[in-house]
Amino acid sequence: MYKYILEGAGNINWMAISALITFFTVFVLGAILAFRSDPSFIKKMANLPFDDNVFPNAEIENRHEK
Amino acid sequence: MMAQIEKFTYDNASVRNFAVATMLWGVVGMLVGLIAALELIFPDLNFDLPFITYGRIRPLHTNAVIFAFIGNGIFTGVYYSLQRLLKTPMFSKTLSAIHFWGWQLIIVSAALTLPLGITSSKEYAELEWPIDLAIAVVWVVFGINMFGTILKRRENHLYVAIWFYIATWITVTVLHIGNNLAIPVSATKSYGLFAGVQDALVQWWYGHNAVAFFLTTPYLGLMYYFLPKAANRPVYSYRLSIIHFWALIFIYIWAGPHHLLYTSLPDWAQSLGTVFSIMLIAPSWGGMLNGLLTLRGAWDRVRQDPVLKFMVVAITAYGMATFEGPMLSLKSVNAISHFTDWTIAHVHIGALGWNGFFTFGMLYWLFPKLYRTNLYSTRLANAHFWIGTLGILFYAIPLYWAGWTQSLMWKEFTPDGFLKYSNFLETVTEILPMYRLRAVGGSLYFVGILVMVYNLVKTVRAGSFESEEPAEAPAREKIYKPHAGEHWHRWIERRPIQMLIASAILILIGGVVEVFPMVMIESNIPRIASVKPYTPLELHGRDLYIREGCVGCHSQMIRPFRSETERYGDYSKSGEFIYDRPFLWGSKRTGPDLHREGGKYPDSWHFNHMLDPTTMSPGSIMPRYPWFIRDEMSLGTLPQKIKVLRTLGTPYPAGYEDQATADLQVQASGIADRLIADGIEIPKKELQKKEIVALIAYLQRLGTDIKPKAGK
Repeated sequence: MYKYILEGAGNINWMAISALITFFTVFVLGAILAFRSDPSFIKKMANLPFDDNVFPNAEIENRHEK
Repeated sequence: MMAQIEKFTYDNASVRNFAVATMLWGVVGMLVGLIAALELIFPDLNFDLPFITYGRIRPLHTNAVIFAFIGNGIFTGVYYSLQRLLKTPMFSKTLSAIHFWGWQLIIVSAALTLPLGITSSKEYAELEWPIDLAIAVVWVVFGINMFGTILKRRENHLYVAIWFYIATWITVTVLHIGNNLAIPVSATKSYGLFAGVQDALVQWWYGHNAVAFFLTTPYLGLMYYFLPKAANRPVYSYRLSIIHFWALIFIYIWAGPHHLLYTSLPDWAQSLGTVFSIMLIAPSWGGMLNGLLTLRGAWDRVRQDPVLKFMVVAITAYGMATFEGPMLSLKSVNAISHFTDWTIAHVHIGALGWNGFFTFGMLYWLFPKLYRTNLYSTRLANAHFWIGTLGILFYAIPLYWAGWTQSLMWKEFTPDGFLKYSNFLETVTEILPMYRLRAVGGSLYFVGILVMVYNLVKTVRAGSFESEEPAEAPAREKIYKPHAGEHWHRWIERRPIQMLIASAILILIGGVVEVFPMVMIESNIPRIASVKPYTPLELHGRDLYIREGCVGCHSQMIRPFRSETERYGDYSKSGEFIYDRPFLWGSKRTGPDLHREGGKYPDSWHFNHMLDPTTMSPGSIMPRYPWFIRDEMSLGTLPQKIKVLRTLGTPYPAGYEDQATADLQVQASGIADRLIADGIEIPKKELQKKEIVALIAYLQRLGTDIKPKAGK
């Protein structure tokens, strides 16, 4: 069945299939490592850009059109 | 126990320098683009001067926008965010200065050499070898400065933006070296290591990944830093950013061959490029959604804040371009889009929308910070946003229309089975109104940039700049104690060198799988016995063709479609290009394909056509090239060219370099005789020395190696 589908899809050779498998492997590995990370660590990392907040937040509001 | 708090300063001067350079080169790059667009409508605008003719300034425009405007934009963002994310100043002020001034010097060299016709003709890598070497040195300086900063950091873990910077650095290094391997002939000329199909594959492995790792990954790094800062909220999903990063850098590198669909590239390489291009949608859209969703709950602010407005449109443009890219990689779509203005529209959604608008957003955010003041005028910034958005729409929509129209006209047959528009020029004049609208769009976008420059200059004048910004942070824990059962990704996030190696391995896999078999396996390029090396005169003519950037408008690749073989002749075979250094397949047909141009017209037709194209093709938008008839051939480097090409594998006999000039003169004399016989009124003694003779020799040779001789 799957062979029939792949043949019907056109010029798909072993290289394309191995490419697909390789991609999914990388994708799944990425997903596993991302979702197994500690939530507090993820939160800390996501907030890293804010550690240098030398300007008060109120200043951001100054950019708004009055 | 809390580590000791250390005081230090952030180097804002380097950030400011790069930011000013970004503005300056933005103006220059877009202006040159506008001139190029106008020249397509008014060919007389070259004023018969070679330096400002379309073929020479088009690469100037692309290089100025990519490497000068966007390049400086990248360095602005990296120098600002890297210091703050790592809580340390840059590694070395000297290296920062060498990086800044070295990069600007390279840009100035490009701005001088490209109009002079000094070019390797490889798209987005046109600069000749001495400048390539300078780029390598300055890029390494940037790398040392970046890694030095990372190594002396006060923050143990590397934020995702920095991963993107690391992947950018290593990949651009690999690409730049791989695509510019060449043997010099003189200080201004070299021949590449690869020829024909191999050269094409290596070039588009580079060209595609220059888009990926110069225009995309560093900007994604900037997005992950500046968007949360501007929105004042963390990125929507840090987890998603991890998947986004690894999947994107791994897949991107494989997709290069989608630039060569239906060409003479072996089918397996084309399939591989298509498959990976389709898969690219997943990580690209993951990144786009992560960016847009960061603004959840803050959309009211987007309505008012020009910084966020620019960033939202930029990320949306990124999403559009990264959906369109994979679609263009489908062979059936590519059959329509390739060689047309559709590609030009597509890349400008990326360049004007994604890179341009994100840069503007970043600059509007950054300048008030650097100068400790408020933006001079939010209204002007909002005006810039709307002018720029209209500019993008007026630029892209007409070109999409032009692309589809022209492609359909190329492919249309009459009921009797003949090409309906057999004269290529008809398909060009049809889309000229779209070219006019495109110039309107470009002008709007350019005006927007001028408005920004005015606004930011006024902001600078109102503020006070602090080149060393005081900061403090706890010292880094030198010995980090991992928690029990810690995930391995946390381990790598603390180790920049390992991150560099992992990124390098991932990006190299795709390159090695695709490029190595092409270079190593002979059977990929079937040899054709009748294909011979160029004669010295043809070789000289080919180098003139390269000098003028003819490849910017004329392809040399007939795809295996009936509509193309009817129009141009037999489809192109890979074995025909084995002596082509560099390959000249092109990526856009503003004029017709020239691969089977040889023997189509008499020599005198080419002579008159180069003098004034409209005499042979009324209504043509090709510029005049009177200097071909005025200037004499400069043959000083011919023997050296023969020697270098023989070293690279072209089978010129040993010692032929001593014979080459004499052979060239014999062939030139024959062409001069034919031109005079056809009524060209220049004394033969002068005529046979002119550049036009070499160009005619080359054009008349094109595609004739396997072309049946017509009853001679």
